[in-house]
Amino acid sequence: MKLFDIVIVGGGGAGLYAAMEAMKANPALNIAVLSKIYPNRSHTSAAQGGANAALANSAKDDTVEMHIFDTIKGSDYLADQDAVEVLCSEAPKIIRELENMGTPWSRLDDKTIAQRPFGGAGRPRCCYCADKTGHTILQTLYEQCLRKGVQFFNEYFALDLSLDGSRSKGIIAMNIKTGKVEAFPARTVIFATGGYAKMYWNRSSNAAGNTGDGQAIAYRAGIPLKDMEFVQFHPTGLRKSGLLVTEGARGEGGYLVNALGERFMSRYAPEKMELGPRDLVSRSLETEILEGRGFDSPAGKYLHLDLRHLGADLIKSRLPQIREMCMYFEGVDPIDEPIPVRPTAHYSMGGIDTDNFGRTVMEGVYAAGECGCVSVHGANRLGGNSLLDILVFGRIAGRAAAEEAGGFNPSPILDNEVADKDQEIRSFMRSKGHYERYGTLREELGQTLGMNVGIYRESSKIHRGIEEIAALKERFSHVRVFDTGDVYNTNLVQVLELRNMLDLAETVAAGALVREESRGSHTRTDYPTRDDINWHRHTTYTLMNGKPVLGFKPVSMGRYELQERTY
Amino acid sequence: MTDSSKQHIEEKRDVTFRVHRFNPQVDSKPYFDDYTIKLEKGITVLRALNYIKEHVDASLTFRAFCQAGICGSCAMRINNMSKLACTTQVWDELERTREPNVIRVEPLRNLPLIKDLVVEMDPLVGKMQQFSNWVDSKMPEEQWGRKEFLVSEEEFRKYDKATDCILCASCVSECTILRANRDYVSPAVLLKSYRMNVDSRDASHEQRLAGLVGDHGVWDCTHCYRCQETCVKHIPIMDAIHGIREDAIERRGVKDTSGARHAEAFMTDIGKKGKLVEATLPIRTNGVAWTLKNLLPMAFKMVIKRRTPPPPLLVKSTSGIEQFRAEFREMSGHVAKDHEKKSGE
Repeated sequence: MKLFDIVIVGGGGAGLYAAMEAMKANPALNIAVLSKIYPNRSHTSAAQGGANAALANSAKDDTVEMHIFDTIKGSDYLADQDAVEVLCSEAPKIIRELENMGTPWSRLDDKTIAQRPFGGAGRPRCCYCADKTGHTILQTLYEQCLRKGVQFFNEYFALDLSLDGSRSKGIIAMNIKTGKVEAFPARTVIFATGGYAKMYWNRSSNAAGNTGDGQAIAYRAGIPLKDMEFVQFHPTGLRKSGLLVTEGARGEGGYLVNALGERFMSRYAPEKMELGPRDLVSRSLETEILEGRGFDSPAGKYLHLDLRHLGADLIKSRLPQIREMCMYFEGVDPIDEPIPVRPTAHYSMGGIDTDNFGRTVMEGVYAAGECGCVSVHGANRLGGNSLLDILVFGRIAGRAAAEEAGGFNPSPILDNEVADKDQEIRSFMRSKGHYERYGTLREELGQTLGMNVGIYRESSKIHRGIEEIAALKERFSHVRVFDTGDVYNTNLVQVLELRNMLDLAETVAAGALVREESRGSHTRTDYPTRDDINWHRHTTYTLMNGKPVLGFKPVSMGRYELQERTY
Repeated sequence: MTDSSKQHIEEKRDVTFRVHRFNPQVDSKPYFDDYTIKLEKGITVLRALNYIKEHVDASLTFRAFCQAGICGSCAMRINNMSKLACTTQVWDELERTREPNVIRVEPLRNLPLIKDLVVEMDPLVGKMQQFSNWVDSKMPEEQWGRKEFLVSEEEFRKYDKATDCILCASCVSECTILRANRDYVSPAVLLKSYRMNVDSRDASHEQRLAGLVGDHGVWDCTHCYRCQETCVKHIPIMDAIHGIREDAIERRGVKDTSGARHAEAFMTDIGKKGKLVEATLPIRTNGVAWTLKNLLPMAFKMVIKRRTPPPPLLVKSTSGIEQFRAEFREMSGHVAKDHEKKSGE
């Protein structure tokens, strides 16, 4: 394959924005987007709520300043303030740019983009398109990339960076449709592969493929990851699938009920009850389950979200999507039965450590979106800031890579590197001694993470988690790919994804253990308060001799001093 | 309270999945494998397939990603209907299955087969490119990001429903025209084209429309409504197809495509006689040369089988034609007024 100026790994919002922006910056560049699925399937489409931007369409007195403050406070002061400033001041421009290229938006009476209130935001600044904002943004970006003639390599699974000393020469990837391992020599590489919260498996709301492939590849190449211990949990995931029942159900007056028939939120938030902040409600559900007041089922312990008292009319008119979801995925009609729910992992704040331009420590390698960690979300992300993050930093990384791509000529990726990579993945299929089943390992990984590195964390449990992850890694070396064919081998892809999740799980657990405080999404029962003196800093993890080596980075501060986070 | 009283027990049943299998590396043609597994009520077809892949046969191949009905990856034919496996309850399928407790699972039709339940999606992407399925913004790129286009909520609603499309290709799979001719534009691409054409921010309306009225374009649809029936997002796809046709007649007249001329000839006949003059319909739609070249052999066969339509002079007006003509004129008048109103806006 000829030399690419930019290879973008991942075709979600961040990857597509990067591709489009790079094409705009220099149409002569040779740009490729590699995606393990068709880009229009990416998980960006699952974001329903919207994207925050201080357009001041809905509330005339909204300002970028207020957006910055809300984001920093929401992050429990772990976000880098200069990065947040970039995020929030670019926001109005990028939403207008999306509008100008054809994204559909819901509208106000004065024909400007509609905005609605969202958790943790002082003004209604969340721009939306009904309840399909992520979907319409993703479709628009894909359409615009097709218009601009971006080269897509769909259903290619990225395996590893090819390195020349400490410099990247490009990416080695497997064509899923043929099973062939191919080289993508590139001057620059942008990782935009999304989050890693799927490692919690059926305790996660994420798509099956949110396995942190980009983070794992970067990590294996010696690039540091950052703040991996911060994983956000949503209080109401469906029992069987972990899929989200959005906050609207509680907003309309739904009750959370335990197996004793109690509205247990009276114990934790007597005034706000079911409408307490997301992390508090998640912790309350978890406590009920841990203390034995949950319901039991083969699919795990759960609680009830009861909407029946709202009546059929209200459920049908205001919550039709939620009703449909419950019927599709649980076989339960909330008009007649309570919804079985439990907390579910749904966003990873951590990721590849980058600067405000998406640059990693390795020259020519970038990361953007949920895959990267700038950091703008710190210890806890605000609703409506995830779509914004992928757009703003996708674009910035695309432009930066386009500017850098000019000069450098990497040495070619050698045939034997490709052959070695091919051997490496094929060894899963050939070895006679391999007997471990992928599904069992993956299930156990999700289980140990949920039990030991979940919502509540505590030293002895995390230690157990670390041991179990290490044991799973050992067992993974005996994993067997039962499908031995070349064409569209999803069994092989799943095993490679599991390898990535195992590598990253180690860093999540390591971070959870070392951070002896409670901040944002990270709750240590043995260290229940925020400790700014010792822990107001980022953690980093660099792979050395097969183990994550811990490092620290200061948080860049600015106008906003540390305050207690109360709502 | 004891543990057992808290335990929620679901109904269980043995269910057989009869799954289409094909691996191009070893199989000369597709076949079916039966997998019988014990399932509890409330499980989706996708979860059942995942279970089979993990516990019974790891080589069973299908696409799945979000598992929440939004990414469109897992569209397949389940009991002869294209739908998303992730939003389909096994128990619902058991009610509509022909053979008790057997659910048939096949790949989408009208797209090239890759393996088992996986089909090639590139042809669909190619058609999206061919018909410019993107907004070609009226605003030059250098000016993007400075100010919003002003769009009313009413205008947004014109394309709101069409933007629900997740490109799952269920409509493509059920389309009867595509079964006969894979070059046909396809329902999903017509829907997207319509969505772009009604967007006031778009500058390529005329060129896109010119492409859509060409061969294998919008006029090939036979209104079977299968696309709309099968749409997993309940999008009124036929409204979009009718919308493009009305738009084409309005902007381009009825002279430039056979489909439009066909519609025009229909209207003339009905207006004059209350029924069709079939013998000359092909000539009026496609011209003399085309008819001689393409339909002469069929005409001979029809003569031999004595199935020829009556010659034009023998087509008598239907009884009550006078009253019908009056009503027809009134109807046409309404249509004309609607058009005036539209163009006056």
